[in-house]
Amino acid sequence: MGTPASTAGLRVKSKSRRKRSNANSFALLFILPSLILYTLFVIVPTLGSVYLSFTSWDGISEDVRFIGLANFAEIFQSPRVHNALKNTLVLTISLVLLENIAAIAMALMVDRVRWFKNLFRSLFYFPTLLSGVVMGFVWAMILNYNFGVFNQILNAVGFGSWAIDWLGNPDYAMISIILSTVWKGAGYYMIIYLAGLQGIPTELSEAASIDGASGWQQFRFITFPLLAGSLTVCMVLSTISALKIFDQIAVMTDGGPGFATETLTYIIYKVGFGELRQGFGTALALVLFVLILIVTVIQVQILRKREVQY
Amino acid sequence: MHMIKPKAKGWFAVTLAASMLLGACGSGSGDAQTKSGAASSDEGGEKVSFTLGYASGDPAARKAISDTVQRFMDEHPNIEIKDISDNSASSYLDWLKTKDAVGEFPNLVEMRDTEVFADAGKIVELPSDLLELFDSPPEVEGKVWNAPLALNVPQGIIYSKEAYADAGIAELPKTYDEFLAVQEKLKASGLSPLVVGGKDIFHMGFWVNKFLIDDVYAQDPDWNSKKTAQEVSFADDNVVQAMTDFKFLFRNYVDKGWLSTPDNQTASILVSGKAAQLFSGTWMFSQIEEADPSFEYGFYAVPDREGHVNVIGLPSPAGWTLSAEAAKDPAKTEAIKSFIRYFFEPEQYSLYLASLNGIPSTKEKVEYEASPAMQSALDLMNDSDVTKSLAINNWWGENLIPPQFRNWFYKKLQEMVASDGDVTDYMKQIDTEYDAQVKANSM
Repeated sequence: MGTPASTAGLRVKSKSRRKRSNANSFALLFILPSLILYTLFVIVPTLGSVYLSFTSWDGISEDVRFIGLANFAEIFQSPRVHNALKNTLVLTISLVLLENIAAIAMALMVDRVRWFKNLFRSLFYFPTLLSGVVMGFVWAMILNYNFGVFNQILNAVGFGSWAIDWLGNPDYAMISIILSTVWKGAGYYMIIYLAGLQGIPTELSEAASIDGASGWQQFRFITFPLLAGSLTVCMVLSTISALKIFDQIAVMTDGGPGFATETLTYIIYKVGFGELRQGFGTALALVLFVLILIVTVIQVQILRKREVQY
Repeated sequence: MHMIKPKAKGWFAVTLAASMLLGACGSGSGDAQTKSGAASSDEGGEKVSFTLGYASGDPAARKAISDTVQRFMDEHPNIEIKDISDNSASSYLDWLKTKDAVGEFPNLVEMRDTEVFADAGKIVELPSDLLELFDSPPEVEGKVWNAPLALNVPQGIIYSKEAYADAGIAELPKTYDEFLAVQEKLKASGLSPLVVGGKDIFHMGFWVNKFLIDDVYAQDPDWNSKKTAQEVSFADDNVVQAMTDFKFLFRNYVDKGWLSTPDNQTASILVSGKAAQLFSGTWMFSQIEEADPSFEYGFYAVPDREGHVNVIGLPSPAGWTLSAEAAKDPAKTEAIKSFIRYFFEPEQYSLYLASLNGIPSTKEKVEYEASPAMQSALDLMNDSDVTKSLAINNWWGENLIPPQFRNWFYKKLQEMVASDGDVTDYMKQIDTEYDAQVKANSM
């Protein structure tokens, strides 16, 4: 027979275990509705998609024929998909770099400017509020060869021969999409970097100034390393967003001219949905999902190692 | 004598008023019921409704159809038509698939991909008692599925008379080489000879199919089936010649911004004088007239090198089609048939045709006031020396191409022109891709 003290200890332990179990049940009860909805609207369709990717379903008929790995074989052999992958990588690398550089620059400016801080913050953030479709339409009008603002100005000052077909020239179409997307997206990441900047203790900068460090040295050795947490978040988010870009391409170029701006996401829609090859489109969506997963995991692993705790 | 106390008087007045009001409502609704009952008995049935879907990208055609729908409903109060069309012409198939996916496939639908939807069991044959309205409507798998909204109209050059006069062009070209000479004159006069809405992929098909019809389909309407059977190739001389002519025209005479110009801007570019000509169909006439009522324009078909004229003009299986779901409901089917008959009555149909300068598909004669340009188009259709054909993607049956091929093919041609690629090389790539798509679709 145990001593009262040890028995009391057992009673306390089982009581706290019961308490934890009750708390867990309560928590589960709160999570359950969202979990059910998430399962029904995300998990189940995703698993359904996995099945469809092994079929030749056209998206409308009752006939769903199992064709094994034929869709995947076609994906890995298709020159069109290779071109789309190349475009996706070019777009992603460019967008991630430019958006984050622009966002850090804007955040530094907003953090350090003395006057009209709120105005600048609002101006930089405003494009983020536009939907991709609206932004695409606006920029398509601005960049229009015949009636767009840029070329009209060139015509007006006598340099009409310099007019560029921004969205119709394969050399410029991708650049136009990249720059307009940076214009739209950088403001969102600016907010995250701004929060990171405002979390850096000012004493560190003051000490560095006293020690004679220049502005660039302070940024390189103090500010940037301490922004690593924000950098991780922004790089991951901007990478995922870039890999899935769709609205701007649909509205501005329709993947053209030719296939110059066609990305993997765009083929999924165009071929899978628009051209009655739902099975193929689903297989490509699965490949894109795996690609995003791999890139994100690698990215997080690398960036997390840089993070500095202070 | 009892006097009603003031407070009670108030309640009495309210009660009296309420009872009068309720009585009036009761008698009113009774009247309404009588009226509707009378209407029902006049029209012979309870209220029926069905949904209507069509490509609503063209504003004039959309207005014409919605006006017809409204007039029909005014004359048939027991039939309600819910117009669920909110799409653009270039994404009509996407819209239709989306509607199907959410269980809202229209009961009466403008069908353009008849064979695909028929094979999928989404549509049914046109009721046999409606066949009498049309003169030899096209059949798919031995059946008629559509009430054709209109016959396919020829495509040709819509030209600015002023630009032609300024460039000293007194006569319309009689051969393709004369046509190229006209382009040189226009170019020399400082204008862009041609505007092309290349951003919209369907617009690419206008010129592509002009050359394909001249060099391929005019001689062999069954070319598609032979290509599917690999008996002919895109790399054959005739197709290479067609695409060589296409590339030459585009690199030398088409406005520089063609790849980013949408179809809906071509009318404004033409009437503003930035370009002298537009290659398109008669549906553009109303858009041009709306952009500038004073713009003087003409229309003609571009002949081939031998001076022969070949145009799009054969009928294709497209038009009003009954959905399989609607066909299960006899009342709905009757209501839809009633609407189709009404739509094709000459009095109604002429208004629709006038809005898009269409050619009637009905046996019964339909008349509307046609412009001189439209008369030129009608003369082409009535000329037995003019060969009528179809675009590459409008053939059906054995000549049906893989549904995903058309857009890929047109984009590849865009790439070929923009990069000044070798035509034969590109045709070989296109041939390989066609075979791959046929194989993929056969699985």
